[in-house]
Amino acid sequence: MSTSMTPPSSTRQRTGAGPAVQTGERVITPAPPGVPQSPLEESSRRSRWGVVILLALALVWTLVPLLWMLLSSFKSRADVTAATPQILFTPTVENYVNLFTGPNNLGPYIWHSVLAAGISALLAVCLGALAGYGLARTQMRGKRHLAFWIISTRMAPIAAVVVPLFLIFRGLGLIDTIPGLVLAYLTFNLPFAIWLMSAFFAEVPPSLEESALVAGCTRWQAFYTVILPLTKSGLVTTFVLCLVFAWNDYAFAVVFSGPNSQTLPIAASQLVTQTGIDWGQLTAIGTIVVVPMMLAGLAVRRWLVTGLTLGAVTGE
Amino acid sequence: MTHVADSSPVFRPARPEPATLKEPRVGFEGRMMTPGLILLAALSIVPFLALVAMSFSLVRLLGGVRLDIVGFRNWARFFTDGDLWLSWLRTVVYFVLTVGLEMVLGVAIALCLYRVLRGRNIMLSLLLLPMFAAPSIVGLLGRYLTDSTFGLYAWVLRSLGYTGDILGSPVSAFAAVVLMDVWEWTPLIALITLAGLSSVPQSVREAAAVDGARGWMTLRYILFPAISNVLLVALLIRSMDAIRYFDIIWVTTNGGPADATKIIPVRLYETAFRFFDLGYAAAIGLAMLVFSIIIARTFVRLLDVRGLTR
Amino acid sequence: MDRNSSQPSRRDVLRGALAAGASLALGGSLSACGSRSDAPWTASDDQWRQFQGATLNFISENTAPTAAIAANTRPFTDLTGINVNIVTLELTALVQRVALDLASGRAQYQVIYADPYQVLAPYQRGLVDLRSLQADPNLPDLPGGVEDFIPAQMDAAGRFVDREAVYALPYDAPTMIWQYRRDLFEKYHDRMADDLGFDPVPGGERTWEEYLQIAQWFGKNATSDVRYGTGHQARQHDSLMNDFSNVLWSYGGDYFDNGKEVGRLGKRDPGPCRLDSDAAIAGAAFYNRLLGVADPASKTWDWDGVGAAFRAGRLAMCPNWHEFAASNEQVMPGKVGYAALPKGPAGTANMYGGTGVGISANTLPHERGAAWLFLVWATSPETQLANLKSKAGGGTPTRTSVYELPEVRAAERRPSPMPNMLTAAAVRQAWRAENIGLRPKIPMWNECNTAIFTQLSRMLSGAATPEEAMRSIKSRVDQIVARGWVA
Repeated sequence: MSTSMTPPSSTRQRTGAGPAVQTGERVITPAPPGVPQSPLEESSRRSRWGVVILLALALVWTLVPLLWMLLSSFKSRADVTAATPQILFTPTVENYVNLFTGPNNLGPYIWHSVLAAGISALLAVCLGALAGYGLARTQMRGKRHLAFWIISTRMAPIAAVVVPLFLIFRGLGLIDTIPGLVLAYLTFNLPFAIWLMSAFFAEVPPSLEESALVAGCTRWQAFYTVILPLTKSGLVTTFVLCLVFAWNDYAFAVVFSGPNSQTLPIAASQLVTQTGIDWGQLTAIGTIVVVPMMLAGLAVRRWLVTGLTLGAVTGE
Repeated sequence: MTHVADSSPVFRPARPEPATLKEPRVGFEGRMMTPGLILLAALSIVPFLALVAMSFSLVRLLGGVRLDIVGFRNWARFFTDGDLWLSWLRTVVYFVLTVGLEMVLGVAIALCLYRVLRGRNIMLSLLLLPMFAAPSIVGLLGRYLTDSTFGLYAWVLRSLGYTGDILGSPVSAFAAVVLMDVWEWTPLIALITLAGLSSVPQSVREAAAVDGARGWMTLRYILFPAISNVLLVALLIRSMDAIRYFDIIWVTTNGGPADATKIIPVRLYETAFRFFDLGYAAAIGLAMLVFSIIIARTFVRLLDVRGLTR
Repeated sequence: MDRNSSQPSRRDVLRGALAAGASLALGGSLSACGSRSDAPWTASDDQWRQFQGATLNFISENTAPTAAIAANTRPFTDLTGINVNIVTLELTALVQRVALDLASGRAQYQVIYADPYQVLAPYQRGLVDLRSLQADPNLPDLPGGVEDFIPAQMDAAGRFVDREAVYALPYDAPTMIWQYRRDLFEKYHDRMADDLGFDPVPGGERTWEEYLQIAQWFGKNATSDVRYGTGHQARQHDSLMNDFSNVLWSYGGDYFDNGKEVGRLGKRDPGPCRLDSDAAIAGAAFYNRLLGVADPASKTWDWDGVGAAFRAGRLAMCPNWHEFAASNEQVMPGKVGYAALPKGPAGTANMYGGTGVGISANTLPHERGAAWLFLVWATSPETQLANLKSKAGGGTPTRTSVYELPEVRAAERRPSPMPNMLTAAAVRQAWRAENIGLRPKIPMWNECNTAIFTQLSRMLSGAATPEEAMRSIKSRVDQIVARGWVA
């Protein structure tokens, strides 16, 4: 089941509060059988064809570059830059082998990427869950300003903030270390995680904590044992999105990494050398960078929306 | 700048003010926020203040960084730099084109998907893929596809009779980098819009069916009003990142040809890290921050008017 | 109730935060210790082994010689007991990291690939004067001394303003030469000679005007073999300035007064830009015309792009860095010839793009010694010879003595085990003092360069006439130079 198939009820069900949950004035009831899921469904045949063609075009537009990258990564040196694009060719794993056997073995790069992106995403989720909960429930004055300030820190232009951050990090000895990269990634992941998590928490009706408190829980227990499990999907989604952002980063890595902490996107840029770009290896690296994040992204696809729309979808 | 200036509330939750407390639970929320906000403040306020200071200085690098205060020199240059203003103009065009196209195409795709019942999930999954790709890789891939010697797209266009060079002339290069961005981020809009469409309450849809509203009418009078909030949120999310990421341009055209794709973040990067004119770069960076904040603020306010932010 | 009950929670929160903070701080302090302490030193009779156990970080552009060295650092480690980490980056990223590293006051990178225009000139004070190390009796000498390096290259890549001080040792020497399809020039030689009225064989006698005619001729008559006569690296990029400068100089134009001096030793304040001279404008007009007959994709290519297109058999000829010979030979063995670039009214000019390796002035004494060992080794005749043979590409030597080795001499002819040496005759001519093309070595070059290639790109896109382009470059460069440079 996915959000998009039976959307009105799915978000509610996730909160585990049962069908009685109300959002504002709207009571959400499951669709009675027989009623079409989409109101446009009965419209004319002709426009149906239009839809199919449009979707087919969209699929081609979206997938061709990715498939081409995948194909090219299995091409030999001559095929990959052949003047007429080669669709039939003898596949070779040469490019991948070269990536892992050359002087610049890709192994450590992958490890650094996994560590830096993973730890940064984990920290962002932990701190983001705490702060996001606080932000969702607080009734302080200027709450909105606070929320906006949090997200505005994410808008800071990278090239401008990198210099002061570099000097601070250097002072703390964080340059060319995984913790340094983790902190650098937190500059954009932390505000994002706080915002995202607060959207997920806002969906959980406060009545749940109230009943937990009545039952004798402390606030922390109510949060930890009642509310947090309800937002598991939110935690996973936030983690994955933070992971994707950190994994894909190039601008911070280029400044803060060093011989002991280079990440995958840096490895990709290193293939653009003074004496020619090795497109075979580059498409291979591209595939290695892109595929894991796509899989991770798809795994949380059905919860992405709630987070990304910051709760506004449900009309709260 | 007013916004960052009134960032003081950050520290408020740390020590609850009795006056505003209706009940003591505010303190709990404050404590929950403390670790995250302190770290965030450390990571953002210090660089921000450094940036402000740098924008009024000449920054010396060798032998440790020093700031020589030069007053408003960087800012005076900022306001009189003709090349820079052209870049701003290009940035606005780029912004409107990318975000606009992404909205139009994203909504169109979402509407199509909405009408399809069978295979919707698998199609949505496939269509979403680009948004998880690293922008720098997207740029390199774009460069590979448009290379006039061996690029797939260049080859296709040539077979269709296009003789020019995609990244070689100003207009087509600009179009190409816009399209690469559109390729990567349209899926995000489609995803959000589809969610919005799917959450249109059953009762509204039924009412529409009873009234016999069809096709365009349904769209215009029922669906769009129902999802306009979601569209605004999508706009907000996209516009925050639209000019922050410039990896694609950096990798493909490097701002050329004839400066056609040199939008502000590219110029900022160049001023900071190729010319090491850090004072001037700080001024440009601050202006960019203001630009992003104004845009984000506008959308947030629109949402506020609709009473949609909590 | 809340006050009390929230105590454990606060503790939990704090514990989490502390754990996170501590792990960061720990990682931080450990690495801080690591970078602050000097390299180990052990008394040893062998000068080469005194720093064994040290680790050096070498930051380099991803160039051919670095690829060759990176592919095989074992000989150095075996010789000295020093480990070398090599970080290769694209030039812009390299300059960014080097500048920040120099600014931070501590050397993360002890050995620096010092591009003369983007690193040496702006950050000369961040580099060690190598004479102090050469003079140190406890450290090994440079084999053959500084004199063994090709003189023009020693000055261009290793010195700045001061005639004596040495900040870097010449490490690679890419130079732009005329690369052409020998097979096609032979095939069409007689027809071309008849049609054009001159002998088209590339060499010292050809002029740019003739180059253009040859290109046109190929475009018209040889389309079964190649799509275009010539291709250029005319993307809005450093490469465009390089490609244009060859023409500019051969037409007698120059960026500043006393251009040869500003190019060879460099200047802190070069005075007014001279691109508005008649000779410069004539050069620009010719370049614009040349690009008009060149492959239109030239405007999207840097040196990689034009190199790949040439290897793909799309072009009959192009000006490009001579170190591309190795990959040309791999793809089309025996088919490519090399010559110095054509002449203009003022002779030939061949852009030199060589670079030196230097040592960060932020290094501590023993690190500095270890870095010197690496410099001596990396530029030694043996290493340069090994690089020439390397499968990973390999650059070309910067030492006179290496070019005189019989083995290397023999490799100038096919079949050659060192394909880059096939260009030897051409580059020997290109490196003569009167033929070598040296761009201005001034601290603010990066910004000037950007103004230059941006306006050239506008000219090529038709948005400005050659004269307008030259004048707008002049006014921008004058402004940039007037702002001066502080580092």
